[in-house]
Amino acid sequence: MSSFYLTNLVLVQATITGLLLALSIQVPIRMGVFSFAGAGAYGFGCYAGAILVLDYQMAAVPTIVITGLLAGLVVLVVGLLIAKLNGLYLAMATVAFCLIISVVAINGGELTGGSTGRYGVISDFTMGHMFAIGAIALVLVALSERGKLGRRVDAVREDPELAASMGINVRRYRLVAFAVSGVLGGVAGAMNILVRSAVSPLDIGFPLIVLALTMIIVGGSLSWKGAVIGALIFTWLPDLLAVVGEWQELIYGIIVAIAAVLLPRGLYGVYVDTKRSVLRRRRQEATDKATAQTPPPTSTGDTTDIDRLAPEMEAQR
Amino acid sequence: MQDVLSVVSLGSIYLLFALGMSLTWGTIDVLNFSHGSIFMFSTFTAYLLLGSTALPFLAVVAVAVAVGALMSVLIQVLAFEQIIKRARTKKNAEMQILIGGIGIAIIPLAIAQHHTKSNPFGLRESSFSVDTWVVGDLRITNIAVMTIIVALVLWLALALWLRRSRNGLALRAIGVDAEVASLMGVDRRRLALVTMAVAGGLAGLAGVLFTFTLGAITPESGDTLLVKAFAIIILGGVGSMRGVAFGAYFLAACEVWVLTQTSGSWVEAVSFGLIFIVLLIRPAGVFGRKEVRRT
Repeated sequence: MSSFYLTNLVLVQATITGLLLALSIQVPIRMGVFSFAGAGAYGFGCYAGAILVLDYQMAAVPTIVITGLLAGLVVLVVGLLIAKLNGLYLAMATVAFCLIISVVAINGGELTGGSTGRYGVISDFTMGHMFAIGAIALVLVALSERGKLGRRVDAVREDPELAASMGINVRRYRLVAFAVSGVLGGVAGAMNILVRSAVSPLDIGFPLIVLALTMIIVGGSLSWKGAVIGALIFTWLPDLLAVVGEWQELIYGIIVAIAAVLLPRGLYGVYVDTKRSVLRRRRQEATDKATAQTPPPTSTGDTTDIDRLAPEMEAQR
Repeated sequence: MQDVLSVVSLGSIYLLFALGMSLTWGTIDVLNFSHGSIFMFSTFTAYLLLGSTALPFLAVVAVAVAVGALMSVLIQVLAFEQIIKRARTKKNAEMQILIGGIGIAIIPLAIAQHHTKSNPFGLRESSFSVDTWVVGDLRITNIAVMTIIVALVLWLALALWLRRSRNGLALRAIGVDAEVASLMGVDRRRLALVTMAVAGGLAGLAGVLFTFTLGAITPESGDTLLVKAFAIIILGGVGSMRGVAFGAYFLAACEVWVLTQTSGSWVEAVSFGLIFIVLLIRPAGVFGRKEVRRT
């Protein structure tokens, strides 16, 4: 086990950063904000982390915290600017934001290292930190899917007008979505630079958006479990597909295309649907049996109507 | 003067590329994110064919246009129609088409990257050769002249077709309200296929002309053009033919201006910045029709 862990350490690290990146796109989608700004925040986080460690000799944890907050702030400002946009326009404005980040990275001179980027980012970052940060982020996101908050988020996504009429401040929720996605993306980027130790403009930009989006689409967009599935698949798949050799990119593309067309709610959505239909069938069988065994109603007076209805009610529940 | 010339020829390439995207987006609500891949892959197919035989210019163009149209129709049938069939709401369908397009775009890109090892490829083997004419102190290539003429003629033809012909009317009706249009007897599926084929053909044509102009393109060059085309379309206003021409030449002018003023690496930021500015100041674009919203 431990040797497996050590040989695949790079993949484990990539899974955690990939998961946070995927969550940074997924959180806004769950609130009905189709924003890719998380990928831009990731690029921002890579560079901010490198600059803090190299130019200000910061330790790992403060670097990650500061980078996360800065990225959250930047994306929140972007959100304030484009909050009134919707749908495709919003999506494309955030794509433009991500690409502007990479142009700035190329033109940033000393600070960003131009087209070579920054390298040699070494600090006291450990895998313990990484697991802890990943777990905290995952738990917080998972909590936002439950109870009152979860229902409000669903309402904001499915029907903003209805949500507003129920007293939910839709605008505030959408802005929070931007900020949270910025923080998640920034933290993911900072962790990435701390384990990879180098970043160049080629590492951020359009392919990053595609990667984050594919994780969410194949995994499932409406639950953190989907993000976990997606991050696992797309970090480990290229390695497993090494069997197919040089055509792995092609297979990767085909998987994404099929998932996008046929499974709009991702693998997790398929799991939920299958589970539901299996349960329904089981209940159906149970009710059939129960009704077969029930003796024809005789008016002896000790069974009320409600008792006879009980199995049906059970089935409907 | 030389700068004006480069604006016009660069803008013409942009116009050809954005024209197809604008057409599908403005009428059948398909924002096709694999348009860049189609652009690249049809040129790539021509490049592969040129490896075995030296084709004349027109044959290269024909191959690229045919491949582009075919790919576009295939994507429409295999992916977008399926998405529209399954989606619950129109908004969901639009989003999924965007995502599906991004997914599909990976496939041609992967094939081309694998074959060329991500190196640039060109169409040098064609029997067509790029000549430079010198008029006064102006220099212009024959391919630039051809691009400008082809772009303007096709743009005009498409605009007239949309405005004057029966099918154009039907297509515009779909753009306004697809449900009502099909109640009026418009065959939505057939028109959508025709539109996609035209858009794909335009992408293929733009690919060949662009490659002849530059000498070579990389498999990834479709992605950048895609975002530029988006900037062009929203600048002009979705669905507006005048708008797409205005956007294409305006973006080209901005880029050439930035190129002459700075070292050149900021050029890419022009289109992205433009997207932001337009969306903030005038989301409907310069020539856009006003959106009627009930909610």
